[in-house]
Amino acid sequence: MINIYVLILLCALVTFIPRLIPAIAVDRLNFGPKFEKFLNLIPYTALAALICPGVITVDPNIWYVGLVGALVAGGLAWKRVSIGAIVIITVIALIILYSIIPYFGLISVVL
Amino acid sequence: METRKEKFIYGAKKGFPIVYGYIPMGIGYAALAMKAGFNPFQTVSMSFLVFAGAGQIMAVSMFAQGATLLNIVLTSFVVNFRYFIMNTVVYNKLTENTPKLNVLSAHFVVDESFAIFSLMEKSSIWVYLGVSVIPFCAWVLGAAIGVLVLNALPIIVANSFNISLYALFVAILIPNIKRSKNIAITVIITGILNYLLSFVISHWSLIVATLLGAFIGMYIVDDDEVNIKPKTDEDIQNEIELEAQ
Repeated sequence: MINIYVLILLCALVTFIPRLIPAIAVDRLNFGPKFEKFLNLIPYTALAALICPGVITVDPNIWYVGLVGALVAGGLAWKRVSIGAIVIITVIALIILYSIIPYFGLISVVL
Repeated sequence: METRKEKFIYGAKKGFPIVYGYIPMGIGYAALAMKAGFNPFQTVSMSFLVFAGAGQIMAVSMFAQGATLLNIVLTSFVVNFRYFIMNTVVYNKLTENTPKLNVLSAHFVVDESFAIFSLMEKSSIWVYLGVSVIPFCAWVLGAAIGVLVLNALPIIVANSFNISLYALFVAILIPNIKRSKNIAITVIITGILNYLLSFVISHWSLIVATLLGAFIGMYIVDDDEVNIKPKTDEDIQNEIELEAQ
């Protein structure tokens, strides 16, 4: 049986050390313009990698739930809705989706 | 000249929307941790000490499935290693920082605060602290609310909260895709790469795809499209003159 306190402390350690190294070493590194451009692109690619394919695992049983959420959020962001409102509306959209999914099940049974 | 407090508040305002995502996600994490057998103190401590949304959810899920300690810790390391790359970007951009402040702020980087700060023109550590400390408080508060209200939430509502982190990611990314077609292409390539690589190298794909995508982007995106460097006094002077005309 795993001791939960040991588990938490070890997870904290392996997460903090990679965070700390750049914070204490970055001043000693000098980056050229090419590497700067590479670093500037990382925010975009990191977000892309987090979204795809993770978003389809939001509900492990119904893959399209996450996709619908991402489309709702994307559509609102395109219309320049504020970030806070996007999160709240997307969650509400999924509550509605979960409420109507059983009817889809009913339709497929009828067909 | 702006004071430190004004910079912190400016950053906090920019980072505040993350709260809407982090409190619901924090509740969702707490639900999983408590179900896995964590007590309320352990549940909240983990959010405080680890501060990694997806990483924590993965760790408690593995614990619930009976994974070994070594396996859980190793997966946490791999999944959270992206913070190494993110902090390299953050600390390369920071100004007004001191070694002491660097060590104190290192713990606070997460995907959302990183994305918001690294796409901002302002680069003071006081702005960064504003952007990043607010989500930290929201994440810990979310876990605390979770252990208190847990059984009161209907299952449909609890499940719907799982989208909030992704809604945040999409909301941050879309305005930049809209601004530049080449950034959009880079983003799509990275997403496809991560999907394909996940079959070959599982958890490592997140980091490898992020780096590979940025490398490909270097050849697709024009230099001025990723110019997110802090504005110089000269730039600001030019803008003021333009507005005056």
